[in-house]
Amino acid sequence: MLTRLKGGHVVDPANNRNGVGDVFVSDGVVVDAPTDAKAPDETIDCTGLVVMAGAIDIHSHIAGGHVNTARLLLPEWHRAFSARPGETALSKVGWTTEETGLRYAEMGFTMVVEPAMAPSSALHAHLELADTPIIDKATLVVLGNDDLMMSMIRDGESETAIADYVAWTVAASRALGVKCINAGGSAAFKENVRKFDFDDVVPDYGVSSRQIVKTLQKAVTGLGIPHPLHVHCNNLGVPGAASDSIAATIRAAEGDPLHLAHIQFYGYGDEGKRRFSSRAQALADLVNATPEVTVDIGQVMFGQTVTISSDELRQFAGSKQASPKKSVIFDHEANGGGVVPMDYKARSFFNALQWAIGLELFLLIEDPSRVFFTTDHPNGAPFTAYPDVFALLMDRGVRAKWLDALPSSVKKMTQLPELEREYTLEEIAVMTRAAPARLLGTPDRGHLGAGAGADIAVYRPNDDKAAMFGKAAYVLKDGVVVVKDGTVVRRTLGRAVTLRPEPDKAMKTRLDRYFDERYGVSSRWFEVPEGALRRDDPFEVVPCRA
Amino acid sequence: MDRAWIDGRPAAEADALAAAAELLERSRQPFVGGLRTDVSGIRAALGLARRIGAIVDHGESDAIYPLLTALRDGGAFLGAPAEMKRRADRVLVLGDEVAKVAPDLLAMLTETEPDLGVRTRGDAREFRSLCRAPLDSAGRGRAEHVDCAPEDIVDVVGLVRAKLSGRRAGEGAVGGDAVAGLAEFLKGAGFAAVVFAPAELGALGTEQVFGLVSDLNETTRASTLPVSASTNAMGAALQGAWTSGFPLRVGFGRGAAEHDAALFSARRQLSGDGEADLALIVDALAEPGAGGPPCALPQIAVTSEPGAVEGARVTFAVGAAGCDHDAVFYDARFGSFVGRPADAKSELPTAAAILDALADRLGGRVADAA
Repeated sequence: MLTRLKGGHVVDPANNRNGVGDVFVSDGVVVDAPTDAKAPDETIDCTGLVVMAGAIDIHSHIAGGHVNTARLLLPEWHRAFSARPGETALSKVGWTTEETGLRYAEMGFTMVVEPAMAPSSALHAHLELADTPIIDKATLVVLGNDDLMMSMIRDGESETAIADYVAWTVAASRALGVKCINAGGSAAFKENVRKFDFDDVVPDYGVSSRQIVKTLQKAVTGLGIPHPLHVHCNNLGVPGAASDSIAATIRAAEGDPLHLAHIQFYGYGDEGKRRFSSRAQALADLVNATPEVTVDIGQVMFGQTVTISSDELRQFAGSKQASPKKSVIFDHEANGGGVVPMDYKARSFFNALQWAIGLELFLLIEDPSRVFFTTDHPNGAPFTAYPDVFALLMDRGVRAKWLDALPSSVKKMTQLPELEREYTLEEIAVMTRAAPARLLGTPDRGHLGAGAGADIAVYRPNDDKAAMFGKAAYVLKDGVVVVKDGTVVRRTLGRAVTLRPEPDKAMKTRLDRYFDERYGVSSRWFEVPEGALRRDDPFEVVPCRA
Repeated sequence: MDRAWIDGRPAAEADALAAAAELLERSRQPFVGGLRTDVSGIRAALGLARRIGAIVDHGESDAIYPLLTALRDGGAFLGAPAEMKRRADRVLVLGDEVAKVAPDLLAMLTETEPDLGVRTRGDAREFRSLCRAPLDSAGRGRAEHVDCAPEDIVDVVGLVRAKLSGRRAGEGAVGGDAVAGLAEFLKGAGFAAVVFAPAELGALGTEQVFGLVSDLNETTRASTLPVSASTNAMGAALQGAWTSGFPLRVGFGRGAAEHDAALFSARRQLSGDGEADLALIVDALAEPGAGGPPCALPQIAVTSEPGAVEGARVTFAVGAAGCDHDAVFYDARFGSFVGRPADAKSELPTAAAILDALADRLGGRVADAA
């Protein structure tokens, strides 16, 4: 079947298209315009509409043990729990797996990466993802606080052995990449360490955070895993120390690819009478000057949310600010983690400045292919806040209006009012389509050239950018219309995109023994078995680089 | 071999499906419960429940609700058993239920020694028990027992908290010295683990234990290992949370999932005093269950037990998950979901297949609609 999306404003920076034209789709794939006069079977009139590839979110906590614990912790936020639905704190949030898929699709997102899957929670995460409709999914598996990795580094094991362990973990958990969260920090917290810097060493291992990050970066690069090591730095949210940690980590990239997550939480200085200030300029300058690094923002937006993180040390510290006053702290193998509810208030100097710092970073980092659009859902804000974030980036008038509502003390501490930049449609398409596909190593996504998967978002232009991006006019997933006028019209099931590196047999034997002897668990339990998800086609395997 | 029964008499599966569908269609308020099945069975049960506006609960959720209630009222510190095995140098066992419902966990802790952590590794693990029966064995480790009646345990935990924070407190049920000893034991740990059964201590008692561990973490490290008689109910609650937003005890009668831990509990609905007038009960595990509430309602049974369920209007024979077919379950020791291959694959349908087939008859495939 041939479908023609006719006469839309096609914004496809990966293929240098930015003008009125057609897009043809056949059998779920974008194809060149037919050379014969063959009439399409279906025509979607896109006259006056903007046509882009489906958007990709590279960092959104949508599935797995910690996300599900947040659901358990906060029943009062679910719409249906209230006798008067509609006005509860997270009433608009895609909170179940079902809503997550539907709400993302309605905004034109067709792929979302769950960025913090513990190896022991891989099957759980994939079970949830298999229940998440329409969108494609992927996961990053977390390493770097685990006993084995730190022991291997301490014992001076070979790069090959370490890479074999990483490959086994990625293959068993069906991940698309590797993440490292406060490298060594969670392990140190189990030894009652309360602050952990990049060059601090984990007690009993004598291994520093820097060593762990560098070792993992080397393993990931060496294995040809397309997505660079995804790093959540030390000292998240600690004024001064956060900014020092991320600067040290960026400098440690040393020419090899590295991705830094939710950098807004690291743009904090300790200047001013409240000992809280913006270091966005310095951080943006460093990112601009370090071409091997990519970053995502983790924008804070105002309102009730919940933070979900495998950074147990920082979540424990943050639990003192929990609102409402309850949190769950996990002491699991390796990372552990925490779930801490947070209410970001526009009238709070600290929260308002966090909001401003995120936007400063978005606007000061020059290359839209190296800065990614995230709220670190739900940590900075639920993903349902995205339409407002698009508006803030694309319209300085909107920013001015938001700024007016903030405490005057904040305006003195941010350069946001002076920043005139407005993201163009093309820059938005780079940041949310072309660049994420490249970063993840999924070349048939993020663009509309022949051979691309027909994941397409069509928007109705509007001066109100939040309205434009909040409800897509059409969304096609694998060539099928799934959303019309911002409403899901067809519920399909996407796939989890994974790597499948071939694990080394000797390493497998070693891990069988290790998990059995040390933890008393079976290494098989870390595997996501073929068929466990009970879906027809749950995975799409993409290759590692040669 | 018969696979379906109507009013106790063998029937063709198609006829049984038609009869069950008709009962569900005629019911003013169906209840879907039991839920002793695997992940795909629960997925199908929740999908069917949403389609027919049913109330849903697990037959054994009484075993886990004290934990869930405490967690969502006040938060929690939770450890993974495998991590505690390697790290906890001191273990406090509260109550006598632990030995009954989690003997494997206790054995794992008593038979091993911590091997991680500067302060914790290398030494034999130490144990304190605050309950009636002393621990059977503490391996190489030292075990001290404080005899305490079940109804006094939570009070003693409160006294230990008072002692730790330097507040004055009375003698309590076990005496001031024992309280001081427990406080010292926990405070002096490199990493303390508190093992308890929330169903024994109740929701408030569980909150008190989490409070104790929260206090300890101000200066040292500690976590908990709550144990329950029904791992299967915990898995179902987790799956309910991602599917409907709530850990079961939900009603789909008004469309969106509504949660009410009292109104929608299996005990209330199955008693006949609730809103439900028909129960669909899934019981498809090889292991015996902890026992759910009795069912006073007309019943559709989906069971791996041989033969028709006594008194059921319709019975379907299905395979036992993980025995007759591959399955995925929540595993308490692992703290997450694990795959379990079939012991010996059989021709029996899965619970999910029967529930999906019922859903098909009630208006399209709905297993995914939850």
